[in-house]
Amino acid sequence: MALRELKVCLLGDTGVGKSSIVCRFVEDSFDPNINPTIGASFMTKTVQYQNEMHKFLIWDTAGQERFRALAPMYYRGSAAAIIVYDITKEDSFQTLKNWVKELRQHGPPNIVVAIAGNKCDLLDSREVPEKDAKDYADSIHAIFVETSAKNAININEVFVEISKRIPVADSAAATSGKSFKLGRQVSESRRTCC
Amino acid sequence: MDPLDGFGSPGREEAAADSRSAWTRFSSWLECVCVVTFDLELGQAIELVYPQDVKLTEKEKTSICYLSFPDSYSGCLGDTQFTFRLRQSVGRQSFRDDIYNRDAPATLQRETAHFFGYVYFRQVKDVSVKRGYFQKSLLLVSRLPYTHLFHSVLQIIAPEFFEKLEPFLEAVCNEIDQWPNPSPGQTLNLPIVGVVLQVRIPSKADKPGGSPVRQITNESPLPAPTLLPTIHELDLFKCFQSVLIHLQMLWELTLLGEPLVVMAPSPTVCSETILALVSSISPLKFCCDFRPYFTIHDSEFREYTTRTQAPPNVVLGVTNPFFIKTFQNWPHIVRLGEIKMAGDLPKQVKVKKLSKLKTLDTKPGIYTAYKTFLHKDKILIKRLLKGIQRKRPSEAQSAILRRHLLELTQSFIIPLERYMASLMPLQRSVTAWKTPPQVRPFSQDEFISTLDHTGPQLTSMLRGDWMGLYRKFFRSLNFEGWYRQRHREMTQKLESLHLETICDADLLGWTKDKSEVEIVDLILKLREKLIKARRQQLQVKDGVLDKLDAFINSIVGSLPEDLQPVLNAR
Repeated sequence: MALRELKVCLLGDTGVGKSSIVCRFVEDSFDPNINPTIGASFMTKTVQYQNEMHKFLIWDTAGQERFRALAPMYYRGSAAAIIVYDITKEDSFQTLKNWVKELRQHGPPNIVVAIAGNKCDLLDSREVPEKDAKDYADSIHAIFVETSAKNAININEVFVEISKRIPVADSAAATSGKSFKLGRQVSESRRTCC
Repeated sequence: MDPLDGFGSPGREEAAADSRSAWTRFSSWLECVCVVTFDLELGQAIELVYPQDVKLTEKEKTSICYLSFPDSYSGCLGDTQFTFRLRQSVGRQSFRDDIYNRDAPATLQRETAHFFGYVYFRQVKDVSVKRGYFQKSLLLVSRLPYTHLFHSVLQIIAPEFFEKLEPFLEAVCNEIDQWPNPSPGQTLNLPIVGVVLQVRIPSKADKPGGSPVRQITNESPLPAPTLLPTIHELDLFKCFQSVLIHLQMLWELTLLGEPLVVMAPSPTVCSETILALVSSISPLKFCCDFRPYFTIHDSEFREYTTRTQAPPNVVLGVTNPFFIKTFQNWPHIVRLGEIKMAGDLPKQVKVKKLSKLKTLDTKPGIYTAYKTFLHKDKILIKRLLKGIQRKRPSEAQSAILRRHLLELTQSFIIPLERYMASLMPLQRSVTAWKTPPQVRPFSQDEFISTLDHTGPQLTSMLRGDWMGLYRKFFRSLNFEGWYRQRHREMTQKLESLHLETICDADLLGWTKDKSEVEIVDLILKLREKLIKARRQQLQVKDGVLDKLDAFINSIVGSLPEDLQPVLNAR
């Protein structure tokens, strides 16, 4: 079975639950008192998708403004970006739109974008209507789900949807499509010798 | 599915729990990250240190400041990378990780009294600065001799740092704090600002000269994101290209720990050459002091350049031509120039008389009166020179060089290892009722007498005065270091065997007809052995230590009740 490594980054305002989503996905756990991320955390998880193994190399970035300028290093070469907002904070949805713009301008050309409206367990405090977010996501052809890292709602689904949208790799190109230095060199040298 | 999935590595959470603020993981790789800048009023000054609470003495800070900038004489415009090594201040607590040093090859052990500084220096014209130049160094300070790894990390982070500044450094340090510990024999994924470096930490158990990089394939069937083939090896060919024909001399000088200065046009060349020399006797550990980049500001400058004593057994890399005067009384000076080509070949420097060493513009050459004990390997040199003409890649040339040096060093040390092993007492002389036997003393004459039959001629074609080389080697710090290491290992082996023998002996039976005093004495002795075994991380069979613990407890239990609390209180 082929193994593909997929770089995925999480972007979004501070406190929307990026690290909690990753923690739920990777370890199936939730800590309400998680510390703010500094720089980025790196985690991996391998899941089966059809006849391939997808190893997600997950870069969970810091949402705090002072780390804003570092984001390009993490979305550079990413196969997918999960942009997270908090359904109880209208501001975080506005920030999300800025992230989408930035990715369109500076991100990898074929990056798969997933929008996750987190904290959907807190319905009483909702500020962002689901329909608005869904319409916005459709307008930019992004994956859209509302999630709850706390109650484990739709977390795996985000990643399954990403797997679905990753272009099918023919065996020769299995290692390309990634922007890592070595990967690219390997695929190029193969092309020249064929 | 993947055993490596999860956070940076298994156990991350315990580490996070026991001290998030103590930078436990970070400090198993680095002591700190520093930024040194040029301040118009202060001169070179530390602008930033991470982690902020790292403890550097004023002396260490001053040394770091001076050593992280090239000498003003070497006008390095653009980006320059080099390495230095500085002495830690006295009284600094040594790093407590005997397990790493126990399992790592001797040449990759953590430094106990020195730090390495891995420097990325940028100097560009900048009219907005009063001095007209932007001059700044980002450096990694570590006890680990992982030259290639840390310079690769610098290549990734330094250019970004100069644009993104402090928050970037904070991010970098936090990511390094997620790295798994450097465990010998393991392949590790090291995430750093959006890329993952895959490295293998060599182990003492590796076959010398083998290609350990290949062993990792079953764990990850795909090429890793960025695979570093080595954490410490240098491009030997690049380092030695203008002194290839003197390789034998340089190897002998290094093996013997002779005082040696390398003068080079840049800190990059001098530091790489010194590191290449030190690594040329691998797997032997170079036990003298060495400074890949040494300046007149170094706190050991006076100590090392005093004329009242013979030159110390150290190897120094320098760039400042002023040193020609300072080192006039040194026995061996290698002066490297810019690489000149004679046709296709890098021009080889010549051996010159020391008396010619006078002026600041002294020509490239090796200034020494040294005569090699062994003849040079002409076939090797021909092969390398031909390789240049045939445009053989530098890595392949380096591999040939590394192989040659390894075989040479192996041929030299195998007879020593064999003789040393013969000094080990027989296993049956280890008994429970006596203190463990001692390793027999090393006799140089006895060793020399083994050379006729089992000398280096068995594995090396090189002719010459091997015996003379051994005799000189016995007087060097490298021999002393090697001997002490082997002796310690053998003594510990005997200690382990002794513990295992005791464990199999009928201790309870022995105590039956003994007086209380003798029994208490036994308990105290056993306890002392156990504490020592645990402290030294002795490798004994599973369960031996626990079984001895249980022994002690049951013997204590068999003593009169008034005595028990006294023994248990200890």
